[in-house]
Amino acid sequence: MVIVAMALCAPLLAPFSPSNTPAVAAPVLGVPTSVAAPLDAGSVAIRADAIWLGDGRVVEKGTLLLSDGRIADVGTNVSVPSGTQVIELKGTITAGLIALHGYSGAPNEMVDGTRPSMPESKLRFAFDPSHYDFEDARKSGITTIVLTPPAEGVAPGITAVVKTAGGTMLSDAAHLSLVFTADGLVSNRKPTSIAGAMAMMEEMFAQPRGSVALAAEGKLPCLFETTTKPDIQRAIDFAGRHKLTGAIHGAALAGELAESIHDAKLSVIVPVIEIGKERRALVSVAELAKKDVRFGFGLDSPWNHPSELRLGAAMCVREGLDSAKAWSALTSDAARIAGVDARVGRIDRGLDADVVLWSGNPLDLGSRIVAVYVDGVRVVGGDR
Amino acid sequence: MHTLMGRFTLALSAAVLQPVVLASSAVEGQEAPASPAASSTPSETIFIRGEHVITRPGTVIDDAQVLVRNGRIVAVGKDLPMPEGAREVSGTWICAGFIDPWAAIGIAPESLGEAGGTPATRSTDSVDPYNFDHLRRDALRAGVTTARVQIGAGARVGGIGTIVRLAPTTKREDMVVLPDSNVWMTIGLSQGNQMSFDAQGDFAGFGSRAMDPFERLESVDRLLQMIQAGKNYLVQKNEYKHELEAWQKTIAEKEAELEKDAKKAKKDREKAEKDATEKGKKFEEKKYKEDKKPTPPRFDEDNEVLARVADGGLPLIVHANRVAEIRALLSGSESMGRLRWILAGGAESTFFSRQLAERRIPVLVMPVPMGRNRPDEYESHDLSLAARLKKDGVQVLLGSGGLDPAATRDLPLLAGLAIGAGLDRQAAFDALTLGAARALDVGDRIGSLEAGKDADVLVLDGEPLVSTTRVRFVVAGGRVVVTPEN
Repeated sequence: MVIVAMALCAPLLAPFSPSNTPAVAAPVLGVPTSVAAPLDAGSVAIRADAIWLGDGRVVEKGTLLLSDGRIADVGTNVSVPSGTQVIELKGTITAGLIALHGYSGAPNEMVDGTRPSMPESKLRFAFDPSHYDFEDARKSGITTIVLTPPAEGVAPGITAVVKTAGGTMLSDAAHLSLVFTADGLVSNRKPTSIAGAMAMMEEMFAQPRGSVALAAEGKLPCLFETTTKPDIQRAIDFAGRHKLTGAIHGAALAGELAESIHDAKLSVIVPVIEIGKERRALVSVAELAKKDVRFGFGLDSPWNHPSELRLGAAMCVREGLDSAKAWSALTSDAARIAGVDARVGRIDRGLDADVVLWSGNPLDLGSRIVAVYVDGVRVVGGDR
Repeated sequence: MHTLMGRFTLALSAAVLQPVVLASSAVEGQEAPASPAASSTPSETIFIRGEHVITRPGTVIDDAQVLVRNGRIVAVGKDLPMPEGAREVSGTWICAGFIDPWAAIGIAPESLGEAGGTPATRSTDSVDPYNFDHLRRDALRAGVTTARVQIGAGARVGGIGTIVRLAPTTKREDMVVLPDSNVWMTIGLSQGNQMSFDAQGDFAGFGSRAMDPFERLESVDRLLQMIQAGKNYLVQKNEYKHELEAWQKTIAEKEAELEKDAKKAKKDREKAEKDATEKGKKFEEKKYKEDKKPTPPRFDEDNEVLARVADGGLPLIVHANRVAEIRALLSGSESMGRLRWILAGGAESTFFSRQLAERRIPVLVMPVPMGRNRPDEYESHDLSLAARLKKDGVQVLLGSGGLDPAATRDLPLLAGLAIGAGLDRQAAFDALTLGAARALDVGDRIGSLEAGKDADVLVLDGEPLVSTTRVRFVVAGGRVVVTPEN
């Protein structure tokens, strides 16, 4: 273990000692026992070779101070209150990774084939924080997942943004999912064609109600589900007609339309990149970065392994994606796309203490995860 | 959303039953092309300079050079003079090209799904230097220069595997490094294109389906019987060889004796004939036991191959993952002392680490991330498998899984994942170079940078197997096939 608990260790931090832990910052719903005890979001200072802040800046030989579930301070000149536990890390600290498209912990939400349109169905109701999927995610450094409805029918539901430990829900309504891909059509239920789906969607937005109205007013971003470039084109046109904001997910070659996407002020969620992914798709991701399109990575966990999030980014870097952009896509840009950048995605004062301790450069797949903190609680690594 | 399962099913559904090739030449083995690298490649002289030259796993020479001529490494060392007219390339780190010992690249895709193979079916007949060249180029750009390909990758008996070079070529013989590297068998893999039934017993469609445990263990028995049959065949062949020698010796002795006593023998025979005629009996020529020439065992091409396997001449790679199958394989093969086998997959093999280490059975691990939609036999799959085995002293090899030709490109990243899950970086490097070469009997040809070996050399801008390291140049088959520009 690279963690070396150093001097200054206070007499054991009592889980609920008043001086250390006035309150847990985040709401806790049904916390899984393996993570819960002791739910000690006290203070810890971590000194590391490098701290990646998530906006491209790196603090060399810096200190990160976590306190009461928040990032209290970061920099080279951090004053560590006496009695704070200090950890020395030979490696790098980053913000926790964010998977923008997944089904983890919502195991029964994969298919709802009865109705083509359920714009009011909310994934937050399907969230099971004790589900074992989240442990896998945490072990791969993922601290936040956007739970999405499957891309079926026309408007399958509303996404939720959750943390992988502690049961925290960061957003109970992040996007309205709209489906532009023929993959979401079935032959025994209306609509059965792309044109039919578009007609239904237009009808929905002609007299918007509920979530659709919020989206039309620009108060709720949309998640545009696509597979092909024509799907993206239709999504861009539709977004333009109805002044919608949000992110396009699913088309591996989105980068080949980077300019149009940029002009439409939309973001991109790159679908999971598996081993053997065609090179053209990887180059296309690099193209998004070059054209200044904000993007992050989807995962579609648990059907893909959480380690594929970082693997996909590394594969894109090999094909020319700028490393700093790749890391932003996994953290800060992803947080913006999920609408939770005020809480997570970067290392900055006041943000949630969701951080990962790596043994080396996080973009080297050979670097190991030494520890993961969510809301200041160590959920992976060390002797929890 | 499709994972390995999808690709697996795809590969199998593309199965085309190929005629079993009569492989009398294969069974003799050792028909490696005399000197493929030298035979038809341009005689370019390449001078490679590196700040750190990894000549073999664990051995680094700083500020050294590698000289390549006629497709071979001529010299490795410090302060080598650069020959006039040589092409010079340089980089920070220099090492041997990577080997993917479990690949699907460079072989006709439909042959991967071959389900009717026998031990003598040869992958080398499906080697294809003409199609999917972009995949081989991508693999080279990532530093993978050699791959072991396998016909019938999902079949219980796949056939003979082949080692191919990925450098561009128009000749099949230039591509083949070793036509017969192993025999491949699988135990208990989920089978694609199977009918599945729901709880009520109604037909629920076609898909991948796990074998039931009895079928799996029966497969182990069948595998062991096959090896035993090969062993018996070998015994018969050896017995025949000895009997034939003895017979020839006796005949020769008899002939000499007859020669010596020719007159007496003639007289004796005439007398015996006369006596018989007088007594009205039929004359019967005396038969000699020695007249009975031994008959050879009936030629069987599969048994010829299995005999080599039983005798340790050809490694057997068995793809098996579950505890029950691995246990049965280990106990059943205990008496087959000469058998050299490699366990592929091995998802649950750490239960047998001690035995695997003691019996020097390497495990060929596929460190590919798998989500929950994984085949049944990979239930316990974990990226830390390689690290756990290595810690227990088991030799570990790393491969891309043998079903997706595009995956070979990503083998160095997969090795990175294995490292990230605890595998020592040097062990991973060994697995991708000399370790793989040795396990597949090509350790004298590839896998390290030594004079006399094939010139498969990587020029990198950083340490090998670090994900952020870029491949600058690749020398393969004696030519510079990758440059920073291409």
